[in-house]
Amino acid sequence: MRKGISQVTGALDVFDEPSADAAPVGAIGLIGNAVSSEVAEALRIDGLSTGVLPVLPALAELLPAGGLARGSVVVVDRPGLLCLALVAAASAAGAWCGVAGIPDLGVAAAAGLGAEPARLMLVAHPGPGWPQVVTSMLEACEVVVVRPPARPPAQIRRRLEGVLRRGGGVLVAAGEWEGAPVRLRVARRSWAGIGDGYGSLRACRAEVVAEGRGAVTRPRRRWMWLPAPDGTVIPDETGDAGRIDFPAGPAAAGAPTAAEASLRAAR
Amino acid sequence: MRAERTGKPARILAVWCPGWPEEDADGAEARAFGHVVTVVEDFCPEVEVLRPGMCVLGARGPARYFGGEDALARKIAEAVAAHGFDCHTGVADGQFAACLAARAGRLGRPVSPGDPGAPGAPGVVVPPGGTRQFLASYPVHVLAAPGLAGQLARLGIRTLGDFAALPARDVAGRFGAEGTAFQRVARGQEPRRLAAGPPRADLSTALEFDPPVHAEPAAFAAKGLAEQMLAGLAACGLSCVRVRVRVTGADGRESARLWRHDGLLSALAVAQRVRWQLDGWPPARAGGDDGPADEAAAGITLLRLVPDQLVPEEGRQLGLWGDDLISGRVERAAVRLQAMLGHESVAHPLLAGGRGPAEQVVLVPFGDMRDPRFPADRPWPARIPPPAPATVYPVPLTARVIDATGSPVAVTGRAVVSAPPDALMAGDSPWLAITAWAGPWPVTERWWDEQNATRRARFQLVTEDGSAWLAAIELGRWQIEARYD
Repeated sequence: MRKGISQVTGALDVFDEPSADAAPVGAIGLIGNAVSSEVAEALRIDGLSTGVLPVLPALAELLPAGGLARGSVVVVDRPGLLCLALVAAASAAGAWCGVAGIPDLGVAAAAGLGAEPARLMLVAHPGPGWPQVVTSMLEACEVVVVRPPARPPAQIRRRLEGVLRRGGGVLVAAGEWEGAPVRLRVARRSWAGIGDGYGSLRACRAEVVAEGRGAVTRPRRRWMWLPAPDGTVIPDETGDAGRIDFPAGPAAAGAPTAAEASLRAAR
Repeated sequence: MRAERTGKPARILAVWCPGWPEEDADGAEARAFGHVVTVVEDFCPEVEVLRPGMCVLGARGPARYFGGEDALARKIAEAVAAHGFDCHTGVADGQFAACLAARAGRLGRPVSPGDPGAPGAPGVVVPPGGTRQFLASYPVHVLAAPGLAGQLARLGIRTLGDFAALPARDVAGRFGAEGTAFQRVARGQEPRRLAAGPPRADLSTALEFDPPVHAEPAAFAAKGLAEQMLAGLAACGLSCVRVRVRVTGADGRESARLWRHDGLLSALAVAQRVRWQLDGWPPARAGGDDGPADEAAAGITLLRLVPDQLVPEEGRQLGLWGDDLISGRVERAAVRLQAMLGHESVAHPLLAGGRGPAEQVVLVPFGDMRDPRFPADRPWPARIPPPAPATVYPVPLTARVIDATGSPVAVTGRAVVSAPPDALMAGDSPWLAITAWAGPWPVTERWWDEQNATRRARFQLVTEDGSAWLAAIELGRWQIEARYD
């Protein structure tokens, strides 16, 4: 049964088409309620590809699995743009995304990175029962972003990790989480487009560092535009830490050459 | 069950209160409409609420008692008006025509060709059998089917009369089940043939509360109960047109009300209607000194959901992604979280319009339907340019911004900065040197509205640690509205 479903999935190339609205409705819908619901359920499970949820291409090589491995915890230093970028691609591919304990989440920024606001579930103040909130969210959402309180007790961490392994969700912890396989943070960043009293923020070049255990014992570092002038996240291949070759001011109406080139490469 | 049994079309009386909002934010309007329904229930206990502002009842029985349909329509309109609500009534064959008749009364539209029409008439009665003629002059757009109406208009079929005149077989061939249903409406018939006879099995669901509970827990239990009812109906391949919510109190009081369902309401939507109904549940009688006992007497002991007017479920096509299933799974989790934290605590975001980042997102409690007050697709001149900030503080952080000499930076009424900003202290963080800045971007919003008026100048600031901030100065006070990284 499973195998058959995978074939259906492959045949329809569902995952080349990130928008759920644009997915072909007729083919399976016509089979009838019972079958189509079974298929849809299987798609949901097999669906957002087995084992790994997609991430934006610029972030893929920082993560050992090339994406968000189901059943794992990914730690981000703080709930900022990097955190949103991490879940954007999964959300765009149809995953529900729960967010607990981040009342100041920039939903517009998440949408700008490609996340679908209609598939966000927000609990601004989960309170002391946050592990229970996260557990409930994991039953419905493929990805849950949580800002845990300072140093969550090991017992709670282990319990939630168990829930993750059983349910196959991904927990993105924006804060501390000891023993997580991957920890991402922005080491350095420089903003472009803004000067001394003129211009406006247009793009940011950031060095993202991935540290952790296992496959990522040695820190990996990547420079990327977070965000690029067009609001996306793209790798910056120039790699030169000190230099910003992003022209400021109104002259830079189009995307800058470096960003443009890497954008083309990404596509 | 209505008069369909006798072969004659059902006579329906519609009560319409103009200017009632469709779906408001907190259901307060829906609750207020309960007063109108209570008044109408004095004439006929079986009142069906279509939405806040519109309810219908079967006219045949009460008309016989109150001396004719004209007299009934007039009496109801007067009774409701006596309670201070603007009200119009209309009687016709079928609910759709009755609703239009109620509106026709207000517009002074002629009911039949010979009738001049009385503007502002409290009640309009379309004679039995005259409904098709009454509907004939209405444009097809009054059908609640924009797609179908658009297609018909393009085909040159502009009025319901034209549509009703088409051969039914051709309509079914071209427009399918939906077209047939709407053509029946245009002909003054019920949109769907009712399933004959009473339901074979008892498909109602009920929950007893022991000890009696208050309105809030009961409304909560209604979600699970509604799920049970819908699952039971689905198992029989049926769907209901209406659902009757019956609540029994510990002191024997009973509140029963019909809500439109049409097979379209989710369990959560049914629960919302139960909540509306229970919000009108009277609290414990005042003056009771015996405390707990009296409180218990005011409690709810039984909640029953009864599906009414069963029709065969014609099926909805599931999307490839099984939208229904996924939303069901997410809905269940949201309901559980709401049980834990309260209805308002679980939200989903809507993108809205506005100049500042805080205005561009509206959080709506899960399960509520709400449109943003300001749509996002309008031009918002002086909007903060993209990228959008990753952190938007619900309550702006207080901040201090100083220039190189250490004195606070100010902005004049003509948007001139006193001196270039040099350092920023955001909230509790230490002082950070400012490496780049842009602004001031003055914005004066809603000056006509005293409570919501704002007049501020916004800045983008980049500090030495690489962070970028959206700051604003209003009345000499600095705030951090958002953070970009």
